Amino acid sequence: MSLIAQDIHVAFGKRDVLRGINLTALPGELTAIVGPNGSGKSTLLGAITASLPFRGRVSLSGRDISVMKPWELAAQRAVLPQASLLAFPFTVIEVVRLGLQSGTAGHRSEVPMQALARVGLAHHAGRTFQELSGGEAQRAMLARVLAQVWAPVENGQPRWLLLDEPVSSLDIAHQLQVMEIARDFARAGGGVIAVMHDLNLTALYADRVAVLAEGQRLALGTPSDVLTNDTLSRAYGCALRVSTPPPSDIPYLLPHAASA
Amino acid sequence: MTALSEIVTAPRDRLSGARALHWVLAGALGLACVASLQVGATEVTLSAMLSKLVQGEALSQIEQVVLFEIRLPRLAMGVLVGAALAVSGATMQGLFRNPLADPGLVGVGAGAGLGAILAIVLGALLPVWAIDLAGNQLTPVAAFLGGWGSTLLLYRVSTRHGRTSVATMLLAGIALGALAGALSGILVYIADDRQLRDLTFWGLGSLAGASWAKVLSAGPLILISIGAALMVGRGLNGLALGEATAAHIGIDVQRLKSTAILAVAGATGAAVAVSGGIGFVGIVVPHLLRLVSGPDHRTLLLNSTLLGATLLILADVTARVIIAPAELPIGIVTAVLGAPVFLWILLKRRGLVEL
Ligand SMILES: Nc1ncnc2c1ncn2[C@@H]1O[C@H](COP(=O)(O)OP(=O)(O)OP(=O)(O)O)[C@@H](O)[C@H]1O
Ligand SMILES: [Mg+2]
Repeated sequence: MSLIAQDIHVAFGKRDVLRGINLTALPGELTAIVGPNGSGKSTLLGAITASLPFRGRVSLSGRDISVMKPWELAAQRAVLPQASLLAFPFTVIEVVRLGLQSGTAGHRSEVPMQALARVGLAHHAGRTFQELSGGEAQRAMLARVLAQVWAPVENGQPRWLLLDEPVSSLDIAHQLQVMEIARDFARAGGGVIAVMHDLNLTALYADRVAVLAEGQRLALGTPSDVLTNDTLSRAYGCALRVSTPPPSDIPYLLPHAASA
Repeated sequence: MTALSEIVTAPRDRLSGARALHWVLAGALGLACVASLQVGATEVTLSAMLSKLVQGEALSQIEQVVLFEIRLPRLAMGVLVGAALAVSGATMQGLFRNPLADPGLVGVGAGAGLGAILAIVLGALLPVWAIDLAGNQLTPVAAFLGGWGSTLLLYRVSTRHGRTSVATMLLAGIALGALAGALSGILVYIADDRQLRDLTFWGLGSLAGASWAKVLSAGPLILISIGAALMVGRGLNGLALGEATAAHIGIDVQRLKSTAILAVAGATGAAVAVSGGIGFVGIVVPHLLRLVSGPDHRTLLLNSTLLGATLLILADVTARVIIAPAELPIGIVTAVLGAPVFLWILLKRRGLVEL
């Protein structure tokens, strides 16, 4: 039932960008991928979503994704890219419906409006997508992705949300809102993989964290196992101080200078 | 979640409006057809002929020739060419994710033209069996191949990682057009007198040479290409999100791209083969329709087909009556109407999207 990436290698020309990554993500969990800029997070997501050539094996609920048709994959997982493109002046609701292309839900269904409401954009449904602010556009694209795999479990199979920096342009309230959406999806039996930069949000919401650096997996485990002074300083190459403020034992990070 | 308590009503649905537009445009096409049969260089009019028929009189020799040998084939060719130009414009814009991509503008028309000229000038050198096999399809098929090669090349050059650079596309189109034009120029030099006459006639961008033979030679390819284009509507909608995301929502992107490129090349090639280069239909028609009923390709492609045919017939009627008894090449009419619209699109986009 899980999403398993085995020994993933990706090279762009002569440059090895991923050098043998293993990652297993379980349904019911939110798996975060963190790491510095250029460490290969988006590339790893690209391999998991079969959008770029790679060596290694990725399987979804036991099936090798390289033998699955685009529409079979689309029925099981939705992908939010780090940067979204849209040509032509579609309205927000039309963009959300694009995600239903291959779904069974059909054009007239209520799902797109519900997805927009979920990200707090129902009142913008009729607006032209290009008029939205950066954060609104990011949430609208998230609504498109949610609509595509609206039910976290279908026919007993978990579905997957693969999100590349889903909160990168959001204000703090919407960051929390989106992370809750992702966690709710996981709690309902679906699987979530999210690339994250905000380590505190990651500590709050992730069930499992993979740390990438220079194309290799530095660590994998629960937030408290992985988000440590040592691992993070090695990954990011800067001094960080992790504390666990009571009453919870969720790690909390400060850059060294700020905490001095 | 405050959002869930919002009263959720979906906004007005543009898709049903765009579907209703199919019928309106079909009606308009019908009216344009009547107008096109009604007027022309001679005094013969459709209404006069109809009233004759109603009173049980036979049509005169002249009337029969004018109706069946001149106006009807010309109308049929206008419908085919107009539909082909508009639908290939809309398809190419969807494929390149840009409203400025038009086969005529970015060198595909020139590539198709090169193919057509090759067929006209060098066709006679082919082995006899090949000429027999190709029959009246030789020029359209050669134009199709020329258009296909240019579209493939253009897509290769201007698209990286699923994103199309408009600047590269337009510049590559200029280069492609210049190259095809130069090669065509060389061919014109080696053409003999009869071929030269064919070429001049062909190059005017006109429906004036319309005949049933030409309708039959271009018609099948145009109809097949329009059929193929009408099947890629959903795919082109997805492609608006970029190639990677299109694949993520379940579209077979490679197949979509090949189908769209073949449709563009087929429709452009066949249209260019029989009518030379008629500009701006492919850019103006889809643009107007997007303004009215939105960019959804599931309706845009059929609406473009209908409106393209209608506008080209009306442009042809204008070309025929405006300086009667002489007539203007229709390319002049479409350029006078289309070029300002094109500039207007550029002006409006200037602030919004950098090239
Ligand atoms: N298409 C490409 N061609 C060549 N190099 C690439 C390509 N895509 C990514 N890279 C390189 O691969 C490395 C990893 O890129 P990737 O996008 O996976 O980083 P990332 O971890 O997602 O970074 P960020 O946090 O900035 O999003 C980078 O050094 C980048 O320059
Ligand atoms: Mg990235």
